Amino acid sequence: MGTVTRRHLTDLPSTPGLLSALVLVAILAGLCLGLPALDRAVPAQRAIPGGEPYRVGAGVTVVPPAGATLDVTGTRPGEDRATALFRLGAVRYSIAVQPFSGDLPQAAVRLRQRITDTSGYQVTGTQLAVSTAGGLAGLQGGYTAGDRGGRYAVFVAHGLTIEVTVSGADLDLDHTLPAIDASTKTLRYEGGR
Amino acid sequence: MSSPVRPGAACPATPYRLPAFWVVIALLATGAVRMSQILAKFLDSYPIATITALALFALLAVPFWLFVQELDFFEREPAGLLVLAFSWGGLVATSVSIPGSTAVENLIAKLGSPGLAADWGAALAGPTVEEIAKTLGVIAVVLIARSQVNSVLDGVVYGAMVGLGFQIVEDIVFAIGAVALAGQGDQVQPVITTFLVRGFLAGVWSHTLFGALAGAGIGYLVVSTDRGRPRRVATAALALFGAWASHVLWNSPLFREGLGNGAVALLAVLVFKGLPPLVLILMLVRRAHDREAEYYVARLQGLDDPEVITEGELRALGSGSRRAAARRHAAEKAGREARATVRRLQRAQARLAVELSRASEQTDQPHSDVRRHRATLIALGHPEAVEGLRSWRHTASAIGTAAVAIAVLWVALSALGGA
Repeated sequence: MGTVTRRHLTDLPSTPGLLSALVLVAILAGLCLGLPALDRAVPAQRAIPGGEPYRVGAGVTVVPPAGATLDVTGTRPGEDRATALFRLGAVRYSIAVQPFSGDLPQAAVRLRQRITDTSGYQVTGTQLAVSTAGGLAGLQGGYTAGDRGGRYAVFVAHGLTIEVTVSGADLDLDHTLPAIDASTKTLRYEGGR
Repeated sequence: MSSPVRPGAACPATPYRLPAFWVVIALLATGAVRMSQILAKFLDSYPIATITALALFALLAVPFWLFVQELDFFEREPAGLLVLAFSWGGLVATSVSIPGSTAVENLIAKLGSPGLAADWGAALAGPTVEEIAKTLGVIAVVLIARSQVNSVLDGVVYGAMVGLGFQIVEDIVFAIGAVALAGQGDQVQPVITTFLVRGFLAGVWSHTLFGALAGAGIGYLVVSTDRGRPRRVATAALALFGAWASHVLWNSPLFREGLGNGAVALLAVLVFKGLPPLVLILMLVRRAHDREAEYYVARLQGLDDPEVITEGELRALGSGSRRAAARRHAAEKAGREARATVRRLQRAQARLAVELSRASEQTDQPHSDVRRHRATLIALGHPEAVEGLRSWRHTASAIGTAAVAIAVLWVALSALGGA
């Protein structure tokens, strides 16, 4: 019976194995930490012309509030569904358009459910009817999550649901909500999907 | 690109003394913590949907696991390494890919445009990060058990297993994402739809397939030491690129427009985007399997002992379909016991071939197993485990099964296309 050596017990000499394993860790770190760091280093916000309709997608346009910037990480135009994310300082103003076969109350229930499904989020106050200058009828309400507040509005038209969510610190919201409400009223379905 | 077998150790070497082993364990533990946090959030928000998704996709993993495990009939991979590969895919590759893919998609939107990200973000970001993260799982197996990767087929098996782990966990995440998007609370219907689309229709040409291709490249890199290093590295890189390209094609917006949303459109997507990589990779796997089988059959041929293996059995043992045909023939001629004995004989012959290839001294047990199963077959009146003539019953059964499969596929496509 021969002597069992380290070579017999292991498949690779330990040092190259360890070095290779550390290279493997470095590549993984590059993927899960390096890429997000690079992403953060590249600015996401783009200036948009004030007072002009912005084409969200799926045939929907909106005039963004004055001073708002477009956050390209939350903006995805498309033929059937689309999202646009605007920022006014620390306040997020998001518009999502997607196919929907139900009516307005169903769309509102769905959006409220999605909001309250998020841990810590609660819908506050009553829901009010709203309409846009282009004739879209909708419902709007508010929600809260700790020291952050939010508003939502939902419209249904032409087989689409248009969901608007606004979130930010209460003080920031107080300053920006009038401009955002005015912008929301400019939502328009122009067709041509 | 297949290459000869390089016989490994008789049993897996003890890895505990390898620093690389503990590095891999630490990575798995980190991935487990990250994915557990995500799972806990899912369970908190949608407990019924999450448990349903876990159960459905765990069930889906079973046939895939058995199929992948069976790919290497001669030298089965140790269960521990298969579990490690699966866990890498489900815990490490997924937890790395979630932030990595999001970052790449954001960068496409920032450096290109939101429109480019909307059309090609998922097609480029996911494959770029995910294929690298999954392939590292096969390299991790090589680092801690080099002796267990001794053919291209071994790379295929480990790569497919990493891909399977990734696929199952990703499907669960997508299923719960669909529940959240539906905005109807803790409902299982979006989970069922996701299961049908991603698990049933898209499951065949998903990560398991891409992982198998990338794994074949790593297998070649490790095994084909008779080739120059540049050639081996280039081949492994080409295999990874092939996996990436197949994934990009599958995720791409091509064929998304112009064919509508009906069953025909879904079928066109499956045929044009899924079938070419599927056929290509299955052909590659078959070639790797046949090359490996040829090598091991040659070891048995050298014995020149008809009690161990006959000429007809040598021919049958080299192919999965011929091995199955030999078992069917035994069942038709001598009943179910003969079928089971042929299966045991084929396994014992395979074990003997592997031991012979290792120039091992441990051939007594497989030798005696072969002789014992041979004696049982003789007693059952079916002494040789060979294929019979193709029977009309088998042909009819194959046609019937294909017809039912096509009908089920068409019903599923119609239901989902009209949804």
